[in-house]
Amino acid sequence: MKNIRNFCIIAHIDHGKSTLADRILELTNVIHTVSKEPSLDSMDLERERGITIKAKAVRIPYYARNGQDYILNLIDTPGHVDFSYEVSRSLKACEGAILLVDASQGVEAQTIANTYLAIDAGLTIIPVINKIDLTNIMLDDCYLQLDEMLGIPSEDVLRVSGKLGTGVPELLEAIIERIPPPQGSPDEPLSCLIFDSAYDSYRGVLPHIRIFAGSVQRGDRIMLKSTGKVFEVDEVGYFSPDPVVGQKLGAGEVGYLTATIREAGDVHVGDTIISAKHPNTPAIPGFRHPQPMVYCGLYPVISNDYGKLTAALEKFQLNDSSIVYEKESSGALGYGYRVGFLGMLHMDITLERLKREYELMLIATMPSVVYKIITTKPEELYVDSPSKFPEPDRIDHIEEPIIRARVIVPMEFVGPCMELADSKRGSLIGMEHPDGKRVVLIYDFPLAEIITGYYDKLKSVSRGYASVSYDLMGYQPGDLVKVDILVKGTKVDALSYIAPRETASTRGRALIHKLRKLIPRHQFEVSLQAAIGKKVVAREDIVPIRKDVLAKCYGGDITRKRKLLEKQKEGKKLMKMVGQVEIPQEAFLSLLKLEE
Amino acid sequence: MRGLYIHIPFCVRKCAYCDFYSLAGRQHLVPAYVDALLTEARSYAGLSFQTLYLGGGTPSLLGDRGLRRLLNGLHQVFDLSGLAEATIEVNPDSATTALLETARQKGFNRVSIGVQSLRDGELNSVGRVHNAAQALAALAQAKATGFASISADVIIGLPEQNWGTLHSTIGKLVHMGVQHISAYCLSLEPGTPLAADPPANLPDDDAQAELFHRACSFLESEGFVHYEISNFARPDHECQHNLNYWRGGAYLGLGPAAASHLNGRRFKDRDDLETYLRNPTGLVEDVEILNAEAKAAEEAMLRLRLLREGIDVRALATRFGRANTQGLTRRLREMAMRGCLVRDSTRYVLPADRVLVSNSAFAEVLGD
Repeated sequence: MKNIRNFCIIAHIDHGKSTLADRILELTNVIHTVSKEPSLDSMDLERERGITIKAKAVRIPYYARNGQDYILNLIDTPGHVDFSYEVSRSLKACEGAILLVDASQGVEAQTIANTYLAIDAGLTIIPVINKIDLTNIMLDDCYLQLDEMLGIPSEDVLRVSGKLGTGVPELLEAIIERIPPPQGSPDEPLSCLIFDSAYDSYRGVLPHIRIFAGSVQRGDRIMLKSTGKVFEVDEVGYFSPDPVVGQKLGAGEVGYLTATIREAGDVHVGDTIISAKHPNTPAIPGFRHPQPMVYCGLYPVISNDYGKLTAALEKFQLNDSSIVYEKESSGALGYGYRVGFLGMLHMDITLERLKREYELMLIATMPSVVYKIITTKPEELYVDSPSKFPEPDRIDHIEEPIIRARVIVPMEFVGPCMELADSKRGSLIGMEHPDGKRVVLIYDFPLAEIITGYYDKLKSVSRGYASVSYDLMGYQPGDLVKVDILVKGTKVDALSYIAPRETASTRGRALIHKLRKLIPRHQFEVSLQAAIGKKVVAREDIVPIRKDVLAKCYGGDITRKRKLLEKQKEGKKLMKMVGQVEIPQEAFLSLLKLEE
Repeated sequence: MRGLYIHIPFCVRKCAYCDFYSLAGRQHLVPAYVDALLTEARSYAGLSFQTLYLGGGTPSLLGDRGLRRLLNGLHQVFDLSGLAEATIEVNPDSATTALLETARQKGFNRVSIGVQSLRDGELNSVGRVHNAAQALAALAQAKATGFASISADVIIGLPEQNWGTLHSTIGKLVHMGVQHISAYCLSLEPGTPLAADPPANLPDDDAQAELFHRACSFLESEGFVHYEISNFARPDHECQHNLNYWRGGAYLGLGPAAASHLNGRRFKDRDDLETYLRNPTGLVEDVEILNAEAKAAEEAMLRLRLLREGIDVRALATRFGRANTQGLTRRLREMAMRGCLVRDSTRYVLPADRVLVSNSAFAEVLGD
């Protein structure tokens, strides 16, 4: 066990984590081909967006300069703001972390947030500046930032080029020298942490585990601490990077097990697996059920696809137990699901994958946070959708979730970032100046403002230089109202939204204007209204269409004419009927795009 | 009733809006093309036809010699003794006296002239090869040659067109004594130069609709019947060949891109002149045989274009069987209740104010 090193890499998106991981894997002969695509990110979407969504672990045999054989376990961590709980669980499985900083970009907000998590978890940090092969690097700034922001002395910092492999052998030696070996006795009862999981249709759920005490092998009876459910182990093994079946996993080791676990809900990241023979073994501290922060309605465009959507969500949850969903029905959209996500990025990625991997055409409604409503009774209701709001006269007041954000931004963009914060109801809590060039803005925001286009907007006002991390602070009362949208007199539940009273009407007008452009002209006039309670705050009318006819007769080519009509009809099927009005899918997300 | 359509895919120049199959600058291929048409015709030898329509492209580019040779050949292959209507489309710039007289001699009793507009500016703006004076001359010549029916094509929605200019075009045509006017709204067809680079002064859909409705009122006040969405005729001058399309009738189309409907089977010749010249019978594609229910719905969709005649569900039930028209009848009834159709006992027609927004009705009549 003294020759095992468990570590992860903390890095901002695009700072070269996957490339560095590949160089390490090549240098240690775990992978042989020099591929352009990173080996750890297995989903296309991750590559496209440059993000590692789900963690994985790779076992790396390493023959060190001291003549000894080591086993390095590289545990991959997600790098985005939505996944801080998952990060904390991955960190828990390690004794050390490589803190990777892009020499041309410097230290980013999320990196700091995750480094703090690592320091709090007692990990040894190996600071590494990457991309030293680039020409426009700012090494001195990086040293300064590491020192000022994280208290890391310059002499501890290694320099590498993940692309060329420069400095990687020294980094491997540093992992051996600086990171302590795992503790824990193989003779104690089994205690291991689930830090990730995958799903295999033959073997069921595959928890990725780090063993802290005891050992596990085929035939062992194990218990999942949070549920008390018992399973018999079918197989243990590790990833290299493909799964390799092993005899046994012992204290300090990292790998996976299978035990014919069919229910995704049985395996939660952060839970502890113990031996069924020793049910009183304590849980590893820190476990919590995933807390969805953002909800949206998901509806099949074609009603017949409801079954397909159900199956897709079920299957999806097997690989990502942080997603929650329940049945929902909408007057406008029919049957669908209310789905909860860890954050906006999590939502975007999940929707994209559902569409791509399950070939589903989906309508996603406006994302919503979970509001706390104190009724006149009084009672406390947690409501994740505007359509579930009680009648106004039953509401005493509404509270909304508040987050604290750390925004790191180069000085020249502070103004626009503050303007943006203003428009998003941010209150400035503090400012820090870690070096002569960047400012850390600490803001409290209503989460609802963050999920409606804040990231994209922040990126655009700072030309991509600003980065942000956040933590949930709790609930605060807000002067909020529900705005209803009526199409030809019919309330469209899926278009309702919650907004601060002072901007509710302005947004209503903007939304109505947007909808007027999105909803096609019909054979009759279509009125669009935004209303708060009974008061109409905005109205526009879509005038009837005057021309929509196939006038020509192509020398009797009736088949072509019929096919044109059928195509037009297919297009209409993709719209949702509200009364007699056809509403295109984009309309349901148009509130998000109001500011564009 | 069976129609014969012959496609002449030659043009002096392609107009900016046109997506019909025709090629510019290939007139030298006309003799070989006539041979190919007759070869294709021979594979249907012995069929009889009641209407003949020479369309294009520009059929007048056949020239009097080409036209004579084609008609002589067709008379040898087919039984044309019962021909009630024979139409030739001509473009004003190639509608020579010799051509028109040949057409008359060979039995054509109807001529359709591609006037489009009687304003030179409007004609220029979409790349027409003729001018207003040539159009008027062609009309006069057609009249003098003794065609029983003269039709003129008019485009609604040309760049800078307004009711004043359109009114003047249509007014002159009426005054010249045409018995039939086809008024097509200009549309931006994908792949055409006009769609690629539409002029800024193009009337939009609403303006087109306005022009169209004014044109309808004017023509009706002049005694024309608005008998099909884009077609107006003095009584008894409706185009029988086209009526046959909209009544779900049978027709044979010869030439690349020509469509046929024979014995319930729809098919067409691929739009490939070069291959056609080598192998005139080998281009049949898009063969489609619909079941009786779909066939009834298709015919109903077509008949909806006939603004007076409309759909007679009793007649359809008799021909296709009641079981195959039940769904259709139910759809029609529902549409009438919503005001999308006007019902008169077993007959359904489009409401006058919905003629230009009839796609959704067509689609609904077709069903799922």
